Amino acid sequence: MISQAAKDSFERIFFQAARTRLTTDPAHACEFVPAVSPGPAQPGVSDEVLVLTIASIHFRIVLSLQFGDDEATRDYYASQGADRTLREAAMEIGNLCCGAINQQLVEHFPDLGMSTPYALSSDCLGYLDELKPEYIAAYDVTLEYAARLRATLCVCASAPLDFTAQVADVHESAGELELF
Amino acid sequence: MAKILLVDDSSTVRDEVAGFLRKNGLDVDTAVDGKDGLAKVKTNPGVRLVVSDVNMPNMDGLTMVEKIRGELANSTVNVIMLTTESSPAMKERGKAAGVKGWIVKPFKGEAVLETFRKLAN
Repeated sequence: MISQAAKDSFERIFFQAARTRLTTDPAHACEFVPAVSPGPAQPGVSDEVLVLTIASIHFRIVLSLQFGDDEATRDYYASQGADRTLREAAMEIGNLCCGAINQQLVEHFPDLGMSTPYALSSDCLGYLDELKPEYIAAYDVTLEYAARLRATLCVCASAPLDFTAQVADVHESAGELELF
Repeated sequence: MAKILLVDDSSTVRDEVAGFLRKNGLDVDTAVDGKDGLAKVKTNPGVRLVVSDVNMPNMDGLTMVEKIRGELANSTVNVIMLTTESSPAMKERGKAAGVKGWIVKPFKGEAVLETFRKLAN
């Protein structure tokens, strides 16, 4: 029900969003290694998973982000605010990443709605198949050769889905004030 | 009495944005969701500019704006949305509710500081 072009588009959109929003500086290195999902619990990752959804009439995306529970990841995101916990920083980082995905998809699907971020037990990842996803992809992401997280993109479709996204630079208009 | 009210459920955004504005001499109060924001606009007539997220628990930002204009009959306070949402439909709803401007996150303070300063005075 989801065409290969649409699956490739979801992947391109996610990679672009991750490179620009999961990093604290878009110039930082961001490497993706495909992973198995739902896979075995990764040693050293948080026992919480951050979950966001984007929904339209025809499909729903569940983006889950599981941040590394280690010194390197905490140090990497500590620059976002000295007194902030990794969990607090991760909520907004995830929100920005999902927002960037939403920003690209809205060009093709104007009826999109996005959730606020939720922190759930990572045990929930084992039940993603219950959503009967048509497309699921997981990546181990390494940021600036140190910080790491597991990202899982899960798409459930209720109608045939076929589109090709040419990924635009999400930095062009972000942060600018559009006056009405 | 604060002239800018920043409404966002993310403590990260509240710290970052309010911190930047205060560092630049602006008087800022914060609220954690639309319900809290509505209550603070109601009890603080000195608020000249509301900067608000859209997606928040309890009450979303656009519903808060509709209530500021409707229930509170406050047509003078300026409202800017600061959000990850960028859909035309969402912006249209904001315009209809009396929102003055829209910023897609992330927040870039230097780009909007002077406009915020004007709208808050």
